[in-house]
Amino acid sequence: MSTTATPVGSVDEAPEPSRRRGRRRLAHGAEAASHRSPAMTVAGYVGMLLVVLVVAVPLFWIVVTSLKHRQDIYVQPAQWLPDPATTNNYHDVTTRIPFLRYLRNSVIITVVLSLTKIVLGVLSAYALSLLRFPGRGVVFVVVIAALMVPNQITVISNYALVAQLGWRNTFQGIIIPLAGVAFGTFLMRNQFLSLPTEIIEAARLDGAGPLKLLWRVVLPMSWPTLVAFSLITVVNEWNEYLWPFLMSDDERTAPLPVGLTLLQNNDGVTNWGPVMAGTVLAMLPVLVLFLVLQRQMIKGLTAGAVKS
Amino acid sequence: MNQLTRRGLLGLAGTAGIAGLSACAGTGTSGSSDKAGGASNTIEFWSNHPGSSKPVEQQIIAAFQKENPGLTVKLVDAGKNYEEVAQKFNASLAGGQLPDVVVVSDVTWFNFALNKQLSKLDDLLGTAKVDTGDYVDALYNDYTYAGGHFALPYARSTPLFYYNKELWAKAGLEDRGPKDWAEFKEWSTALKAAVGSGKFAMELADGSNYLDWYFQNLAWDFGGAYSKEWQPTFSDPNTIKAGQFLQDLTKAGVIKYNATPEADFSAGLAGCILQSTGSLGGITKDAKFEFGTAFLPGTDNCPTGGAGVGVPANISDARKANAVKFAEFLTNPQNTVTFTQATGYMPVRKSAVELPEEKTFLEKNPNSKTAIDQLAHTRSQDNARVLLPGGGARIGKALDQIAQGQDVATVFKALDAESQQVFESQIKPKL
Repeated sequence: MSTTATPVGSVDEAPEPSRRRGRRRLAHGAEAASHRSPAMTVAGYVGMLLVVLVVAVPLFWIVVTSLKHRQDIYVQPAQWLPDPATTNNYHDVTTRIPFLRYLRNSVIITVVLSLTKIVLGVLSAYALSLLRFPGRGVVFVVVIAALMVPNQITVISNYALVAQLGWRNTFQGIIIPLAGVAFGTFLMRNQFLSLPTEIIEAARLDGAGPLKLLWRVVLPMSWPTLVAFSLITVVNEWNEYLWPFLMSDDERTAPLPVGLTLLQNNDGVTNWGPVMAGTVLAMLPVLVLFLVLQRQMIKGLTAGAVKS
Repeated sequence: MNQLTRRGLLGLAGTAGIAGLSACAGTGTSGSSDKAGGASNTIEFWSNHPGSSKPVEQQIIAAFQKENPGLTVKLVDAGKNYEEVAQKFNASLAGGQLPDVVVVSDVTWFNFALNKQLSKLDDLLGTAKVDTGDYVDALYNDYTYAGGHFALPYARSTPLFYYNKELWAKAGLEDRGPKDWAEFKEWSTALKAAVGSGKFAMELADGSNYLDWYFQNLAWDFGGAYSKEWQPTFSDPNTIKAGQFLQDLTKAGVIKYNATPEADFSAGLAGCILQSTGSLGGITKDAKFEFGTAFLPGTDNCPTGGAGVGVPANISDARKANAVKFAEFLTNPQNTVTFTQATGYMPVRKSAVELPEEKTFLEKNPNSKTAIDQLAHTRSQDNARVLLPGGGARIGKALDQIAQGQDVATVFKALDAESQQVFESQIKPKL
């Protein structure tokens, strides 16, 4: 599922090795491309093609396997297209495990966590970059330090703390310990610092208060970074495994990645069809969100590019 | 402060990181006095549902609650494999809220027992008047340490010899498994010729997929072993002979290694495999040809495996009593039959095979019967694999090296030294 986090480029820059396209590119980036020999150009396209294959083939295989009958999964030579195709695996996923409840849990956890993280990230970054108060640098360093502690280390002590609060198998038990947000603070702070000071000062002179400044001036200019940050956050939370696994006991709070493991056979032969079907279903929401937000991100990027 | 130099920033961050770490590590030590957590009439059962057995477990729990109206059993999804259950159990040991009954595998239970985190069950079973003599001896005695038992056998398996009957006929072999490994070697030429190119006479799981479990059978057949009590015996001449045998067959192109040999076998790419009884159900569904099962080669040298259920040490006596009551119910003759018929594991009670529903089941499923007949010929695994921390992985790695052609004596000698060192440093002080 981590494949959903592939860089934006892989979708747009799918190689199109026709000569015409190549020449047009050449005209555009004349400066860079004019020195490049045809051999290098071909090598570049082959490279891109390889990257696309590396990303796309496993995905394709997941989708195809999810549509196969059980006997057709392990065969030689490999079946590249399901024959005959079946949707039984999808039916299996929704009946063998309480798929919808896991989905609901995943949505709740992801939405609440992402919103919290985005709000916290933006507000703390704003304070740390554009507001002046004593101890600002120290606070920032402490936040960065939090980024450097891997969460596997804190898991055991967090578990102890949360279990003593009686929060095991509850949503707050899963969400609150994960809501700290060093990465967002760091990313957004650097973005805010990169904004031209003239504009900020102008807004202040015009009488904008701190919140108005944030909402009307700073955020609109930081849209692409914010979207990228949100996207990374959503994908991360959606795929989060270790902590929800430790905290949740059953389908009342467990999210999809934990639920899907129930389809795998612990000791024996796993029937991969339903596992792949579950993976496809788990991938879809994030994929859709990604496609929607991706356009926003590009819009933001190009809008910024022409201005100054 | 925005003008901090990069080095200054990193230095500061590092310091703050250490401060943060030490702050975090302190939490959660309180409250260890009452780890009880749950109510005493609720039994929390942490399971990874071995063999996709969640529905069966729920069925057994429902029967238990009907028989004991005062008690509730809460089934918890504790992970996707035995290692994850151990991880979750470990986390709970640090922070309270322990389960009442927890699934522990042949390689995870000992560490918990050694650190006094699992209860010794003998007295509890005595109080509950459980007839422990009815448990299959080899399976029950797998959990012995310091003169007591620390788990009850639950989802137990052994390896089986699976073979492709069509290939056997083509090679002109009798319809049975080899008597011992020497006989398999005699057969291997005919098998290799019959199986054709691109396919293999035998496939085995590689070192990361429990080759160390199956290889025990080979070592024992040659009169060797991984260890004698705590003394590693990899460099015993007989164990080396077994390693050499494996390497020779590999070089001859008879054996191939693979993460999932059962998949290749079902696809007809491998003539025979050694695989857990737990795979029987899956292979029956996947294989498009007729296959047979047989005892592992050799006499009385089939290793046991799989998981049992244990009871944590730091819970109240009332909870322990209830936990044992449930653990016994889960593994009683009736339920072990229900459970094993649904999953392919072995019944853990001697009297289970006498039950009428088991008799009919075995008549209909001769391949399952092989596994149960073999149960009388099992042998508890060597300490060096199951009780030494990291034993399985360590042996698996060495076997991988042997399969790749490294000198057997050298590899096993190093393994001896390494195992001895792990024992000295991690086990000996606690014994």
